[in-house]
Amino acid sequence: MKLTDYLKDKVSFLLINFMLFIVICGIMLLIEVAPGIIVLILGIWFIPLLVYMFMEYSKQKSFYDDIDGILGSLDKKYLLAEIIEEPEFIEGRFVYDLLKSANKDMHENVKKYRDMQSEYREYIETWVHQIKTPIASTRLIIENNPSEINKNINYEIKKIEEYIEQVLYYSRSNNVSRDYIIKEVSLADVVRNVIRKNSRDFINKRISVDIEAVQGTVYSDVKWLEFILNQIIGNSVKYISDKEGWVRIYSIQNDHNIVLTIEDNGVGITEKDITRVFEKGFTGESGRRFEKSTGIGLYLCKKLCDQLGLGLTLTSELGKGTKVTVIFPMGNTDL
Amino acid sequence: MAKIVIIEDTQTIRDELKTFLSRYGYEVAAPADFENIIEESLKEEPDLILLDLNLPVFDGYYICREIRKISDVPIIVVTSRDNEMDELMSMNLGADDFITKPYNTQILLARIESVLRRMHGTNAQDLISYNDLKLNLYNGSITYKGITAELTKNELKILSCLIKNKGKIVSRDDLMDFMWNSDIFVDDNNLSVNVTRLRKKLEEVGMKENIETRRGLGYILP
Repeated sequence: MKLTDYLKDKVSFLLINFMLFIVICGIMLLIEVAPGIIVLILGIWFIPLLVYMFMEYSKQKSFYDDIDGILGSLDKKYLLAEIIEEPEFIEGRFVYDLLKSANKDMHENVKKYRDMQSEYREYIETWVHQIKTPIASTRLIIENNPSEINKNINYEIKKIEEYIEQVLYYSRSNNVSRDYIIKEVSLADVVRNVIRKNSRDFINKRISVDIEAVQGTVYSDVKWLEFILNQIIGNSVKYISDKEGWVRIYSIQNDHNIVLTIEDNGVGITEKDITRVFEKGFTGESGRRFEKSTGIGLYLCKKLCDQLGLGLTLTSELGKGTKVTVIFPMGNTDL
Repeated sequence: MAKIVIIEDTQTIRDELKTFLSRYGYEVAAPADFENIIEESLKEEPDLILLDLNLPVFDGYYICREIRKISDVPIIVVTSRDNEMDELMSMNLGADDFITKPYNTQILLARIESVLRRMHGTNAQDLISYNDLKLNLYNGSITYKGITAELTKNELKILSCLIKNKGKIVSRDDLMDFMWNSDIFVDDNNLSVNVTRLRKKLEEVGMKENIETRRGLGYILP
């Protein structure tokens, strides 16, 4: 709060006083009061007034500067009302109480939405578990009645399962703290599991896989990692359109991290789309042209990677292929 | 013949699983009286129990713990809840293995087999034979009328798949499926090469009539 601002705010008050003084001054001149007395009256009038204004100003300044300082250094700005001290002057106290009650109401409002969200999340998780039972039955029925039609149904069921998995991880992605268990994970095992999951697609599209150069162990959550890799490898398979397709997966051990790379020779992504592939709901040109893309897969991957503390980058060249790297940071200490 | 008891509350799964496992040569019982499920199950004297976690009356954890108090029968926990906590809990309560729904049926079979094998020591499953040809899965060798040859991992898988389906045509896709499910990610050309090599090895040990190719259909061991 600057002094000039304060004075500007009080300008009408000063003006009225000044005008009053001029009027009185005029009257005094008319009745021929001595100029010394006029000056004295000016002093008696204005010195206390200005002193009072200055005190008022310093009080307000210290309060507002205080608030401003706190707000600047505060990480969660909405906690302001909890932190500021109650001011001594009346206007300040009034604002203080107002802030407090507005804040309290806000908290209640936020809590309402938080409850709604967690309730919804719980429902989704229950739903996901419920739907798995009929899917398991369907799978068994198909297995017990082998035929060409059932084989196709099985294929579709597998897709349904994948979408359901996506739902589960989507709802988990906002609230990770209680859902994962970090353990030592063999990268080769995870990659093998994911390839096996997608084996039908690889075989049908005659895509060759090379995972010989995947090695090393990382500390992460197996299920999450499998989900992330499944999205990435699933994408590779989806966007390989011509014959002679291949997917190559390898890991490189560096001093401070292990880098897992998934490379394919699919249709690739145009340059202008590449920066946006991790955005929610973004479907690139390739996504729309070749496959029904939902724009959720990579967005989720990025989000989950962020939560797990993994790096995720993507490079691609249209018509040549795509390269996705997952970076696992390693500490210096052996666990 | 091993006897498996299924503890599962969804009737469809119970019935289909029964059909499925019977087809693979297991004797199956699926009690449905959940009030006395523990007594009912143990009365069957099973070699293995498949246990669902979400059950009426008592939950799977309780059943697992109670069974462990009386019996050492191997238990595989089957659940739709896909999280590590459940897995940990089950293992702590004495389950032998853990598999999540909806399971890949081949994996379910493999788990059952491996748990049974662990319980009873090595199984006759390690040695499979076709006419005079003996295939040892344990050390990856074939023996035909006294002559022995070593097979590679891929050849071993192909031969064991064909022997398991003897007399039936196995399509290339099914063969590939089988290989991929065993973590051998061969491509089309590789498969042909492997089959050719396998044939050669079979001929070398003196087995003149071996794998036949049915054009457009697949391979067969008649």
